[in-house]
Amino acid sequence: MKKLLITLMLTAMTPAAFAVTTLKAEVNGMVCAFCAKGIEKKLKALPEGHAAFVDLKSRVVAFQLKDGQTLTDEKFNKVIQDAGYSVTKVERVNQTVADIQAQLSKSGKEGSK
Amino acid sequence: MSKQYTIAPFSVFSLGALFFSQLVVPAHAAALMGFEDSAMLMTEIGRYNQEWMLNYSPALGHAIGVEQMRMSGKGEQATTITGINYTGLIKRWNLPSVQANIWFNGSVGEAKGQYDGFAYTPSVQFDMESTRLYFLAKARMIRAPGMNYDTAAVQAGFSFYEAGFDDTQPWFVIEAKTMRNNDPGLQVTPAIRLINKNYFLEFGVTNPWQGEGFAPRLNAMFVF
Repeated sequence: MKKLLITLMLTAMTPAAFAVTTLKAEVNGMVCAFCAKGIEKKLKALPEGHAAFVDLKSRVVAFQLKDGQTLTDEKFNKVIQDAGYSVTKVERVNQTVADIQAQLSKSGKEGSK
Repeated sequence: MSKQYTIAPFSVFSLGALFFSQLVVPAHAAALMGFEDSAMLMTEIGRYNQEWMLNYSPALGHAIGVEQMRMSGKGEQATTITGINYTGLIKRWNLPSVQANIWFNGSVGEAKGQYDGFAYTPSVQFDMESTRLYFLAKARMIRAPGMNYDTAAVQAGFSFYEAGFDDTQPWFVIEAKTMRNNDPGLQVTPAIRLINKNYFLEFGVTNPWQGEGFAPRLNAMFVF
């Protein structure tokens, strides 16, 4: 019974305690890797960050936070705007950057079929 | 009477020009500066003119730097202009899959060689680019006492395929450029351009495309 309670408690806590937070933005004007390099560089320099990802085709910039770290949407937007681009939408998702990358890669391949 | 060609005063910059000319930017690349707090090195090495510029962007839309350009007209000795350069982003349009810009760029400095004295090179550039198509138009005054090498250029190109952020994307670009008091008056340069997040390289050949007039041209840009 005790083991069952502990298991239930851990199961209940796990999603909250280990939830991944990634800020995902849709960006206008991002057409060239050489020009958009600044976004990746500035995001990677943020201490809150675990990983950053830029995808020109889907116009997505994703920034995964380290466990326990927070970052306001405004600060995230500012990094992209200071690099010369326009943010049209920001959302927080419980996916890793690697998951988003794989998802976009898969949808890109399906789209090209 | 021909004048003795001398290297322009900024000896460090002159050495820098010599060094970087052995690497490779495009004075006509879409981006004329990097992102905030970045430096950009640009070079254009061609038969008819050579140019390099190193600038630093302290804030979005502004960059200051140094530039050196060397060119010669019909039957003339070369003239080298060394100067302080400013680049300003006048207007940017960020659309879903397109970016368009209007830029101001110009140097003030000293001309040495065939022509001597105060030189100035103001220019205006419009460019528009998607992940597959590219267009640029630029007009530039290149003046010093007795000298007029004003230029106008248009470029258009397409990429062979869409590339990921970490991949190298190849483009075909063709440029038509006129330069006053230069031969040929209309320079046409088809080129292959490679764009990666770390570099921009372009290799082309300017008309005439054969014989003694064979004129390869190399452009490069690096941001750091």
